Amino acid sequence: MAYYGTNGYGDDAMDTESSGPKVTVREVESGRCDFVLQNCPLALANSLRRVMLAEIPTIAIDLVEVESNSSVLPDEFLAHRLGLIPLNSMNVASGLQYTRECGNCDDHCEQCSVTLRLHVKCSSPENLLVFAKDLIMVDGRTDDIGKPVIRDSAGNGPLLAKLRNGQELKLSCIAKKGIAKEHAKWAPSAAIGFEYDPNNKLRHVDYWYEVDAKDEWPVNQKNAEWESEETAADFTFNPDAQPSAFFFDLEATGVLEPDEIVHQGVDVLQKKLAEIINGLTRSDEGMNGGMSPDGYEPAPAEDDYAYGRGGTTPYGATAYGQNGYGGY
Amino acid sequence: MSNSAERDTEMANGEAEEDSADEQELLLGGLEKLVILPGQTSHAASFQIEQEDHTLGNSLRYFINKNPDVEFCGYTIPHPSETKMHIRIQTWEDTPTTAFDALRKGLEDMIEACDVVTEKFTDARDGFEASKQ
Ligand SMILES: [Zn+2]
Repeated sequence: MAYYGTNGYGDDAMDTESSGPKVTVREVESGRCDFVLQNCPLALANSLRRVMLAEIPTIAIDLVEVESNSSVLPDEFLAHRLGLIPLNSMNVASGLQYTRECGNCDDHCEQCSVTLRLHVKCSSPENLLVFAKDLIMVDGRTDDIGKPVIRDSAGNGPLLAKLRNGQELKLSCIAKKGIAKEHAKWAPSAAIGFEYDPNNKLRHVDYWYEVDAKDEWPVNQKNAEWESEETAADFTFNPDAQPSAFFFDLEATGVLEPDEIVHQGVDVLQKKLAEIINGLTRSDEGMNGGMSPDGYEPAPAEDDYAYGRGGTTPYGATAYGQNGYGGY
Repeated sequence: MSNSAERDTEMANGEAEEDSADEQELLLGGLEKLVILPGQTSHAASFQIEQEDHTLGNSLRYFINKNPDVEFCGYTIPHPSETKMHIRIQTWEDTPTTAFDALRKGLEDMIEACDVVTEKFTDARDGFEASKQ
């Protein structure tokens, strides 16, 4: 695809952005991906970071029906631990419905949920350890959505509880699709390291220090070396300089591969944008119908700006007045 | 309010649209994703976007401001416990670009920039894999 800069106007050749974004993958290991995003606006890099943390749909246990629990842990305690068990979320975005949007059922069904059962009883004098591997998926789906993620060499998965002789756990769990903005148990990423300008050339940070900021705030050597000479700490300050490289260190929880998190993060962002374009088109059509009383209101001749008229917004003068915009 | 009047015209426009409107309503609990706030003119308008925050707001503001026809663009989240984001756009009066055009252009530019980011990430990731062998 021809790309003519992030602004689409191609007129600011001096702008580093007109060469288009660049990505360098520096390190990959199981559940981790370290990459550098360059020639990209800070705003977009931060949107990507935010969306990868909080808005990628995954699956997690959301409802627990306890039939029997004679362990020392109360039901709520167990339900909370169950919610945090990582479940395989590959293809959840397209392959699973949100329960609240499912048109196929009144409560929940195999198109919008996965049921896992747990039934363990300790019948020996030695304590019985209950692991995520003991969660059994019930019928339903042909894919692996909702399967507990097990990555330890023993093949156990996270420890859920310990049972004494005679204690029993019998429960069924309903796992649903959700996002981390609602509850952190749906987070696909455990942490995302995000840094730009490691030498603080742009002076976006004013370091607090006891004696010497240089000693007390060690720089990330790997990132600092990546930067060009002009961004070295002792180079002269340029107030117009823009951040040029964003260092991402993405650590996944295991429910999705790190690559998948990046791709889906961008997907989620694009879906949001497409949804607004839809809304805009719909409201355009509404206006062209000419039926809307508030649809088009010419500005008063003596005042070019609608926001100057204070009282015309439902929020009064403050919404667009002198101190209304805290957002940017 | 303008909201209900717009809905009326929409209903009159036909069945297909009614379906998509219903679907949207279901997702947002009966709220419109995008509402044009009162007081708009052709070159200046404020939009209310439902269920968005700084994740979209700041980037969208950036992309709209990139447009040389745009005089002003800013966003705000008026209340922390309402999931609404407001975005204000004013374009220069001597350009044919309306506030609506500027919003649409900003949205499209950001979609395009996102496309490039995934594309470049895929290339870089494949390149990394190849370099290990
Ligand atoms: Zn269902």
